[in-house]
Amino acid sequence: MRDFAAARSEMAEYWHIRLGLEDPVKKFFSQAPEADVTLEADIPEKDFNSAGRGSAEVKNLLKRLGVDPEVLRRVAVAAYEAEINVAAHSLGGSMTSNIHPELIHMVFQDNGPGIADIEQAMIPGFSTADEMVRELGFGAGLGLPNIQKNADALHISSEKGDSTCLEIIIYFKNDGQ
Amino acid sequence: MDNKKYFHALQILEDNCTGCTACVRVCPTEAIRVRDRKAHIDPNRCVDCGECIFACQFHAIIPRSDPLDLIHNFKYKVAIISTSYFGQFTEDISYEVAKQALYELGFDDVQEEAMVTEFMVKVIQNYIRANRDKRPIISSNCPTVVRLIQLKYPSLLPNLFHLEAPMSILTRYLREKIQEEKGLKEDDIGIFLIVPCAAHVTAVHQPEGAYKHLQDGAFSIGMIYGKVREHIKNLQNNPPQIATYPKGLTWALSGVQAELVDCEDIRALSVNGVENVMEILSRVEDHYLDQYDYIVMRSCTNGCVGGCFNVENPFVAMSRIKKMIKEGENGEVDIHELEELYDEGEFDVAPLTPRPIMELDTDIKAAIRKMKQLNEILTSLPGLNCSACGSPSCYALAEDIVLGKATIEDCVVLLKRHSKEDEQDPQQK
Ligand code: SF4
Ligand code: SF4
Repeated sequence: MRDFAAARSEMAEYWHIRLGLEDPVKKFFSQAPEADVTLEADIPEKDFNSAGRGSAEVKNLLKRLGVDPEVLRRVAVAAYEAEINVAAHSLGGSMTSNIHPELIHMVFQDNGPGIADIEQAMIPGFSTADEMVRELGFGAGLGLPNIQKNADALHISSEKGDSTCLEIIIYFKNDGQ
Repeated sequence: MDNKKYFHALQILEDNCTGCTACVRVCPTEAIRVRDRKAHIDPNRCVDCGECIFACQFHAIIPRSDPLDLIHNFKYKVAIISTSYFGQFTEDISYEVAKQALYELGFDDVQEEAMVTEFMVKVIQNYIRANRDKRPIISSNCPTVVRLIQLKYPSLLPNLFHLEAPMSILTRYLREKIQEEKGLKEDDIGIFLIVPCAAHVTAVHQPEGAYKHLQDGAFSIGMIYGKVREHIKNLQNNPPQIATYPKGLTWALSGVQAELVDCEDIRALSVNGVENVMEILSRVEDHYLDQYDYIVMRSCTNGCVGGCFNVENPFVAMSRIKKMIKEGENGEVDIHELEELYDEGEFDVAPLTPRPIMELDTDIKAAIRKMKQLNEILTSLPGLNCSACGSPSCYALAEDIVLGKATIEDCVVLLKRHSKEDEQDPQQK
């Protein structure tokens, strides 16, 4: 069973980019520029006491940069939900926040176990985005839809039996400049 | 930010200060630094919460209030008492006696915050219903909370309840009424607050959002306590008959006050203690608490009974006040004049301006550059957060260095390491 799956497909991937921001987002990922400031936080498994610390730190940092309060709120919510997701549904992981002059790029990398039901998730017909995202293994919580609502770009990739990586981009200005 | 010097009701007695940094570490806005072995408060950052006063073992930080003699500058002297005052006495001392004792201090008129509690609750409920687009509404009574929002959570300024606090409402009402009834000029009337905390003294001397002249001074409950006790002794043999408002004493207790506003269509939350307040404000900012219509926030434990000017423990004071609320019956309060003034907009406050303290620079790109610098400095600091440099943490020192307020030489630990290396070097050679 395992071998079969491995032979067929190892990666599950999900993209969501806010309308009109496709170009800057693609450019960002292809150029992969170095961040000006980076913040790292551990997310221990099932530790709901400390889950939320990373997002609180990011929020404080962005306040020091004078980021617009509405953008700040979107970052805080997306980061918090993603942090809770990692704590709740994985063996723990880490959160890296990369600050660039015009955006924040947050990477949530967990230590597995990856997406359990990858075959099912990849069955064509699981067409609506939200459903697919839910089947990617994040449970039925409000987490992912909430992240997607607040993010300018969301990318999830998962390797079976391995780890899941969730990336969020939020621009400091609406037009992505 | 305007450069006007911000008044604060705190004073540092340099002779007493040992430079121990206890105060530096507790300040919620990181307003204190020890430099040259003495503590200094940044007036633009201080929110008068009083945490540093409680933390200092050397009585080097003392809250200030006005000298009682001030009242003699006025023909007609009015005292308005914070409800927490009534929690400060043993239970053999009646409400009437405690109130009468204030007249004995030399006041012509003594009024209570508790008198307008019922009116306030109605007005707050109306405001919440009329502003459905803003959730939650945050109570504006605690001056520390108001200033915290200006400094650290400016996006929440529109959520503040936009009317004066009860003691200021009473002030406006009384100033007009007394002028009319007694035929006095505005300047003849001195209106003073008897307050539970330093924040209220600051609010009297530097009101935020006030349109006009409010109070003429503020006296600390602790400062008048001794004199009041003497008068109480005499009064106890001959208890006076005066109106009291036990049902309104709820105002000093954050939880009880929230319960009063809470009703079928209004869900209220009560928060007290400055750490809790900051945590909740941060969650409100992220819209995690939109299910609440109203949040009562008080910086001190249990509400105003926890203020630094009180003499009694906040839990004991709360229990005494609760007993009075339960057993007492309210005197008549005629609120229709208050309602008229309210309808005329007399109690409105001006929208408050943000006073941001968090930003490294107003330009985001410059701020990022400074942040980069800050992080670089941070990696060379020991990360012990010992405060020996006089800044609250290594991060704060790095920030101070970037902002030109300190240098890396301020780090005592690095200095020691370097001097050790210097000592060892010659031997190795
Ligand atoms: S707590 Fe602050 S004010 Fe008091 S002695 Fe220590 S440094 Fe000085
Ligand atoms: S009163 Fe509060 S805000 Fe002001 S310096 Fe003291 S601890 Fe800081």
